[in-house]
Amino acid sequence: MDLLYNAVFRPETYSPLIQVLIILAKALVVVGVLMLHVTYATYFERKSIGHMQVRLGPMRVGPHGLLQPIADFIKLFFKEDIIPASADKPIFFIAPAISIFAGMTAISVIPFFSGFVVANINIGLLFIFAMSSLNAYGVVLAGWASNSKYSFLGGLRSSAQVISYEIAMGLSLVGVMMMAGSLNLSEIVRAQQRFPGGFFWPQALGFFVFMVAAFAETNRTPFDLPEAESELVAGYFTEYSGMRFALFYVAEYIGMIVMSLVGITCFLGGWNGPFAIPYLPFAWLFIKLYLFIFFFYWVRATLPRYRYDQLMALGWKLLIPLALLNIIGTGLVKMLLKG
Amino acid sequence: MINKKIKKIIDTIFFTEIIRGMALTLKSFFSPAVTIQYPEEKRQPFPGFRGQHAFVRDEATGKEKCIACGLCGAVCPSKCIYIYTKEDPETRKKVIDRYEIELLRCVYCALCVEACPVGAVVLTENYEYSEYTRDALYMTKEKLMDNWDRFMAGEKGREYFKKFWTPGKDSFRAYPGQPVFKRQGAGNKEAGAEGK
Repeated sequence: MDLLYNAVFRPETYSPLIQVLIILAKALVVVGVLMLHVTYATYFERKSIGHMQVRLGPMRVGPHGLLQPIADFIKLFFKEDIIPASADKPIFFIAPAISIFAGMTAISVIPFFSGFVVANINIGLLFIFAMSSLNAYGVVLAGWASNSKYSFLGGLRSSAQVISYEIAMGLSLVGVMMMAGSLNLSEIVRAQQRFPGGFFWPQALGFFVFMVAAFAETNRTPFDLPEAESELVAGYFTEYSGMRFALFYVAEYIGMIVMSLVGITCFLGGWNGPFAIPYLPFAWLFIKLYLFIFFFYWVRATLPRYRYDQLMALGWKLLIPLALLNIIGTGLVKMLLKG
Repeated sequence: MINKKIKKIIDTIFFTEIIRGMALTLKSFFSPAVTIQYPEEKRQPFPGFRGQHAFVRDEATGKEKCIACGLCGAVCPSKCIYIYTKEDPETRKKVIDRYEIELLRCVYCALCVEACPVGAVVLTENYEYSEYTRDALYMTKEKLMDNWDRFMAGEKGREYFKKFWTPGKDSFRAYPGQPVFKRQGAGNKEAGAEGK
């Protein structure tokens, strides 16, 4: 037990080689938990949207359709991998890998509970921005390499959308950085312990901007223009099939989980909750994560898709000014409290 | 006027309409689903449902009621009833030789049921008749009689005729709102009174 405790919380007591092994083990645990969440996020999505539409959702595979994600995975794995004849093959192969790599890497800086983080780097938040921008590369390259007009339009829309909303999202988190005085996500969570409810109340405006931008970043409804199925078939992954298609799908859900986790760590107090749950230090984080993901689905079941110019107008004319206002307000309050 | 403007501004800032939509979806999330898990649970068809055909077996004689007049075939809009007649050597009456319905072409309008002067053909409440071959859906007299035995025999068939498909008889009374084709001057008395 002591060994495990030391391995998780004080890896510096061991030799460098063992430290590397410890990090690898942590990464494996995180990836395993993450993939499990991704598979069941698809099930959860189909179930919750089904019930919102007064249906049942998947019911056939296993009790209440619980084995549906596994059946889906097996099906996708054995499907024929079709590559369009005129596709740019190397880029076509790389694009889904970039998407999934960016999503998974971003997870590594998220603290799951006090002291448990794969990479405790002091630029955590910046790192997440970098990775979520890289994620857009996967989408754009997939759209370009498929050599199909639907994919191409999807890729173009995605690049424009992500660039616009990246700014709003970055600015919305500046308030959090100012209040926490750090970019390290564990430090940000610790800074929130002084506030009941985390930075949610003092940074309500920032949280609003962050949420809207998160929906746009993850290409979820109401901002799912890059994959608008009624206009662009499936957007940037129209030409993908089988396992590569599944990779994009997984990347989308990872993106959603990452955005939820960032929102939780930056605004909702991370792993802290109203009371401590014994033996499960990560319980609050996961409860919040499920609520966040439910919120994503809830919005998807409610709102129609925005028009493209509305999306751009919302990003540039509303969210960015709001985020700037939030920064100024936070700075002023901070100055007044000090002086 | 000013109140309206203020309300509009508040609606825009706090997304009241989006919140109302979200409340609606959350409400339906907790309402029970309307899905019927088909092969396990089955929906009971409404009375008078127009399913697969059956040929009526006369309870007295044990044979078909059909008098081979050919009205059902004449009225059939998709012309999917084939009637072949012959002369009975003993009674020298016209009787049916073969009576066949091509189910794949039938539109289930039940005009044949209405046209029949003796009530010899009915539509049962059976809706589960998917088959793998066309031949299986080509109904002969024997198959149609078998359908009667399976789905309509006894009280059910009697009730069916009393309730739904004897519009030509004076005793027939439709329930309010029942869609039936009526012969002129016969059938539903209230409806007839309205017509004048």
